[in-house]
Amino acid sequence: MVVVVDYGMGNVYSVLSALRYLGCDPILTNNTQKILEASHLVLPGVGSFKKGMQSIRERGLDKAITKAVNERGVKILGICLGMQLLGSFGDEDGGTEGLNLIPNKVRLFDSQTLDPEMKIPHVGFNSVRTSEQEGLFKGLPSNADFYFTHSYRMLNEGLEGRLGKCNYGVDFLAAFETEKVCGAQFHPEKSQTNGLILLKNFLSL
Amino acid sequence: MLKKRVIFTLLYDHGSFMLSRNFCLQKVGNLRWLQKNYNFSQIAFSIDELIILDVSKGERDQDKFCEHVKALAEDCFIPIAAGGGIRDLELARKLLNSGADKIVINSDLKTNPKLIELVAKEFGRQCLVASIDVNKENTVWIQNGTEKLDLSAREWLAYVSQELPIGEIYLNSMENDGTGQGYRLELLDLLPPSVSVPVILAGGAGKYHHLIEGLLHKKVNAVATAHLFNFVGNGLELARDEMLNEGIDLPRWDIQTAKNMKNCCANSQ
Repeated sequence: MVVVVDYGMGNVYSVLSALRYLGCDPILTNNTQKILEASHLVLPGVGSFKKGMQSIRERGLDKAITKAVNERGVKILGICLGMQLLGSFGDEDGGTEGLNLIPNKVRLFDSQTLDPEMKIPHVGFNSVRTSEQEGLFKGLPSNADFYFTHSYRMLNEGLEGRLGKCNYGVDFLAAFETEKVCGAQFHPEKSQTNGLILLKNFLSL
Repeated sequence: MLKKRVIFTLLYDHGSFMLSRNFCLQKVGNLRWLQKNYNFSQIAFSIDELIILDVSKGERDQDKFCEHVKALAEDCFIPIAAGGGIRDLELARKLLNSGADKIVINSDLKTNPKLIELVAKEFGRQCLVASIDVNKENTVWIQNGTEKLDLSAREWLAYVSQELPIGEIYLNSMENDGTGQGYRLELLDLLPPSVSVPVILAGGAGKYHHLIEGLLHKKVNAVATAHLFNFVGNGLELARDEMLNEGIDLPRWDIQTAKNMKNCCANSQ
């Protein structure tokens, strides 16, 4: 059972459509029991880190998600804000603790170090580089184009696992697969073939 | 570095999709027609973005428009912008919950700048596409090309790009609209030299080399075409190959693989 976590943040319609295209029958829910019983969780999200965590906590979903992942081995894919929320801390709107499934922090792109041509937010198709050819990255080219729209990014901070990097003036973490969790800063549901491949790979984990 | 984009614009009018020539509309078919005779979901694998504009005259049925956006978003895995007749935050929210990622605003840039502020505050300025229709005298028209502004296009573009919290400009030539004779590149000279948001050039593309001509211009980030019959069948797929061969930095993906992935996980869950 594939569960898309419904915590009231942003557009889940396209995520559901992409999963359905692949032939799976996802459930959109905020029911904690369903979350615990899932084989795969997708945590979507558009909006601010603080509001996102508030919405998750108000619904009691933080405990259900971490329990599902840590104790039941449920696979999770965080998309865009959803990936950021998997981290330990987000700076946005004054700072909030995340789900802490990985220890990484989330920070605003530093406009001081970016080329003036590089606007924040980073919006559009950009290339993700990886040397990985298995797991989440199976069947993707080593430079795969994905659609991004974000102002904050997760810091790399020695994360171990299969990693994909993107360059927007600076290199940043665009996607990862660790033993327990996966994340994509881009929107696989808006990234044509490459996004469908990544979602299919996640469902196969 | 961000890639350039090829955008398809669908014009919607009370449940039908339209062809426009110099802003005169002609009905071509409904959603079923678009899928069955035009094979839209296949064509969508050859574009980088979809824009859906409600150009209905008279009273609009906004729920029906949202339903059409939803139906189009179902098998279309690219960013989608939707607009036309958005007068309040609620409709913007509804479109964003129907599969759209961005909102296109035209007349409200003039008549309701407060709404622009509200949408930007709620969803971010990257969410707002400012659509600007310019005729051959370089004057700006709003309300589906029926009401002329007192400002020149140069003044209007400077104001919209510098004073309003918008994320992109959709610059459309009314003179070349639907003619298939190529973009009116002179429009780009009307942009302020410091324009900091991406520019989408629209109006007039009829052949793939028009798209290339547009994309090669240094002020252009994306080109749009709204002509349903200039790129029928695998026309857009071939056009895309030509553009990549010409060295235009478009995102790349394998179209056939996506088609083969339909229902590939059906039995594994």
